[in-house]
Amino acid sequence: MTKFRVEITKGEEIRYISHLDYARTIERALRRSKLPMAYSEGFNPHMKFSFASALSVGVASQAEYMEVELKEPMDAAEFSARLARTLPPAITVCRVKEVVGKQPALMAIVNLAVYHLAVPLENKDEVERDGINRAIREFNAALEVLYVKESPKGRREIDVKQYMAEDATVTVGQEKAEIMFSIRITPQGSVKPGEVLKVLVKEFQFPGKSEAAVITRLGLYVEKSKTRFSPLEMG
Amino acid sequence: MVKLEASWLDQVTKPARYTGNELNMVKKDLLAVETTFALAFPDVYEVGRSNLGLKILYHILNCRADIAAEWVFAPWTDMESIMRENHVPLYTIENMQPVADFDVLGFTLQYEMSYSNILNMLDLAGIPLLAKDRDETHPLVIAGGPCAFNAEPLADFIDFFVLGEAEESILEIADTVISWKKSGRQGGKSGVLAKVAAIGGVYVPSFYTVAYHEDGTIANITPNHPAAKPMVTKRIVEDLDKAPYPTKPIVPYLDVIHDRVVLELFRGCSRGCRFCQAGIIYRPVRERKPETLLKLAKEIVDNTGYDEISLTSLSSADYSCLHQLVGSLMNQFKSQGISVSLPSLRIDSFSIQLAQEVQQVRKSGLTFAPEAGTQRLRDVINKGVTEQNLEDAVSAAFESGWSTVKLYFMIGLPTETDEDVKGIADLAYKVLNLYKTIKGRRGAKVTVSVASFVPKPHTAFQWFGQNAPGELARKQQLLKSLLRDRSISYNWHDVEISYLEGVFSRGDRRLGAVLLEAWRKGAKFDSWSEHFKYDVWMEAFRQTGVDPEFYNLRERQKNEVLPWAHISSGVDRQFLWKEYQTAVAEGFTADCRHGQCSDCGVCPTLGVEVIDWEGKA
Ligand code: SF4
Repeated sequence: MTKFRVEITKGEEIRYISHLDYARTIERALRRSKLPMAYSEGFNPHMKFSFASALSVGVASQAEYMEVELKEPMDAAEFSARLARTLPPAITVCRVKEVVGKQPALMAIVNLAVYHLAVPLENKDEVERDGINRAIREFNAALEVLYVKESPKGRREIDVKQYMAEDATVTVGQEKAEIMFSIRITPQGSVKPGEVLKVLVKEFQFPGKSEAAVITRLGLYVEKSKTRFSPLEMG
Repeated sequence: MVKLEASWLDQVTKPARYTGNELNMVKKDLLAVETTFALAFPDVYEVGRSNLGLKILYHILNCRADIAAEWVFAPWTDMESIMRENHVPLYTIENMQPVADFDVLGFTLQYEMSYSNILNMLDLAGIPLLAKDRDETHPLVIAGGPCAFNAEPLADFIDFFVLGEAEESILEIADTVISWKKSGRQGGKSGVLAKVAAIGGVYVPSFYTVAYHEDGTIANITPNHPAAKPMVTKRIVEDLDKAPYPTKPIVPYLDVIHDRVVLELFRGCSRGCRFCQAGIIYRPVRERKPETLLKLAKEIVDNTGYDEISLTSLSSADYSCLHQLVGSLMNQFKSQGISVSLPSLRIDSFSIQLAQEVQQVRKSGLTFAPEAGTQRLRDVINKGVTEQNLEDAVSAAFESGWSTVKLYFMIGLPTETDEDVKGIADLAYKVLNLYKTIKGRRGAKVTVSVASFVPKPHTAFQWFGQNAPGELARKQQLLKSLLRDRSISYNWHDVEISYLEGVFSRGDRRLGAVLLEAWRKGAKFDSWSEHFKYDVWMEAFRQTGVDPEFYNLRERQKNEVLPWAHISSGVDRQFLWKEYQTAVAEGFTADCRHGQCSDCGVCPTLGVEVIDWEGKA
C-alpha cells in the first residue's frame, strides 16, 4: 500500500462548485486515470481518498491538499503525471509526496488557511480608498467582533476575531482592493472568508460590494510553535 | 459573449448551473462553422443535463466539423430575475453566446408542463414568441421529443417539429440550413421552411389550416402549402446497433439526475400497455447487440470516470440478452468499483434474481409497477401481470433480504370502480403480510405511489374522457382512508396539475392563446408544485374564452378528427380503436416481440422490423 499527499488547485472557472462536487470530480478523474486505487472493504466499497479541509462554494484555491491510497507501490512522479492527464482543465496537480510510515491524517493537523480577496471598487475615489483602509484598521484593532452564523441548524453567534491568526492587510489599487488574512481552523470550528468580508461591510462600513469579491484560498498550513509548514513538508 | 458578474452568481442557488466548463463539453469557434444549433431543455439544469435525446444530438451535430451545437437550460427564478434586471439575454453554456445569435434553437418536449418555460426562454432570449413575428434574422425555433406527437398547443410558437428519432433528420435539417444560408437565405424564412418540409418527419404547423365544426370539434386539417405532406410520419433508426452513441458525454460538476453511464439497450416496447404513449411512439422494438453495448460501456467509463452503469430502456428486463450482458459487465467492471443498475424491472422472480446479482446494497428498495389494483383492471390496461407474479416477485425479494418495496399505481383509468381503488390497498396489505409470513415478523416498508391517469394522444385511450379533479380527489381520499398501517406510506399527485396536463396533452391550436396569456400572467416551472399557479391558468382560460374540459374531460367519438390526425407514429388508428374496445371487454393482446404480430401497422408503414438478438447474436 502506498499513500500520497497531493497539492492540487481549484481553478477560478469552477469556484462555484461545492466541496462535494469538487471531491466527486477528483474521484472521477482518479477513476479515469486507471491508477491502482485502494478501496474500503464492505458491501459498498469507497475509493480511499480524503481532503484536508472543505472549501466553500464560490472560493477558488491555489493549494488544496488530499491524501490518496494506492494498492501498489508507485513513483510519486508517475502518479502525478497520470493524475494530471485526467483532471479537468480547471484543476492542476502542483506537488505530490509519498507519506512514509504512520502519520496523523491531514484533516487532524491542518489548522490555518490563508485567503486573498479581490473586491472591485465602486467609485474609485479618495473617499472610498480611505474608507477601505479605515475599515481594515478598525477591524484589526477590535478585540471582539460578533457575527451571527445562520445555517439550517439554527443561529449561532461567534466571535470572528478569535479565528483571525494575525492582522488583515489591504492594498488598494486602481480597480480593486486586495485583502489578505489568515484564519484558524480549530476543532471547535472556524469562520469563512466570505463571512469576514460581510462583517467588514456590516460592522465596519467597508465600502465595497461584498458579493462581488473574488475569493481565493492561497494555502493551508500546519502552524506549530509559531512556524508555518505546508502539509507536504510535514512528515 | 455574455459575461456573468461574480456578484450575481454569489446571490443565486447552485451558481454552477450557469457557468458550464464541464468535462467533455465541446466548445467550438462559432464563427468558424457553417451553422449553429442551441439545444434547449426547458427546465432547470439538474433535470435536463442527462437527457439522452439531446446528448445524442449534441454528439451527432458536433461530430461534424462544420456544425456547432451548444446547450441551454431554463434559469431558475432567482437567476432569471438577475438576468432580467441586468439585461442579460439567455445564453448557451459553452461559449456563453446569446441564444438569439444561433441559426437554430431546438427544444426537447419531454412533458407538457414545460411549455410555459419555452415561452419564458424565448422571451429571455429576446426572440419574438410567435412564429409569425419572426423572420430570417431570428433563429429557427424547432422542437422534438415525445410531446411533439401532439404539438398543436405549441403550433403558434414553433417553426417546425421533428417527429420521432432525429439521428438522421437532424443532419438533413442542418444541411438544408447550411445550403439556404449559402444561397443568401433565399426566400427568407418561408424559403427555408418550404425546404425542410420535404424532409421526412418534419412538420411545419403553419403549412396546415385547421377548420372547426360549430361544436368546436375539428372538421379537417389540410395542407395550405405545396411542400406540406398530408400526413407527417415519424422517423426511426432502422438499425440501432449501428446508430451513433455519445461515448464522451459531458460530466457535470453538480449532482444532477441520472448522473451515471447510461447504456440504452433498446428502443421501443411491445408489451402493449394501453395507457402508455412511449409504447406506441417508439415502436418497433430494436435492440443493440450485447457486444456493442459492452464496447460502448467501456468507452464511456474511460471517458467519464462514472462508478455506475445504468441499463436503460422502456423495460430493460425485456432485453433478450440481459443475463449475458449483465454477466459480462460485472466481470469487466467490478474490480474497478463500478456497479451495474437496472432502473426498470419487470415483476417476476427472474428480475429479482438479476437485481440481487447486480445490487449488493440493500438499502435502496425495489420498485414494482402493477399500475392497477385488481386483475380486472390490469386486463383492461393490458398489463400482463397477475397477482401471483407480484406475490412471487415480492416473496423472492423478501427472501433475498430486501424489506422496502415501492408500488406504482394509477387511478382514473377507464372502467375503474371503487372496487379497483380498494384493490390497491388490498395489494399493499398483501405485500406487508407476505413479509410477515416469510420472515416471521413485521418490518417491511411499503410505499404506495399513485398517479392520476392522463390520457395521451396516439394511445388506445386517446378517446377517453379523463376523470374530473373532484373524482380523482375522492378516489385519493378513499385510498387514504384504507391505508392506515404505519408501515405503508402513501403519496399521490396534485389533481390540478393532472387536470392541466390533460388539457395540453390532447389539446389543439386554440390553446396557444391560453398558453401565451398564462405565461404573461407569470406561469412558469409548472411541473414544480412550488411554482404551479392553478388560478393563473384558470384565469387565462376564462380570458381567452377556451373551455379546458372540452379537451380533458370529454369522451371523444370514434370518428372525431383528433388534433394530431395528420401526425403518424406509424401505428394505425384502427389498431388503437380496436385496442380501446378490447380494453373495455377486458381482452388480452400479446407482446409482438417474439413473433406474434398484432398488426399495429408500424412495421409495414415504416418498412422496418422488430430486432431482437436472442439466438441471433
Ligand atoms: S407491426 Fe406487428 S411486429 Fe411490428 S410493432 Fe406492430 S405489432 Fe409489433
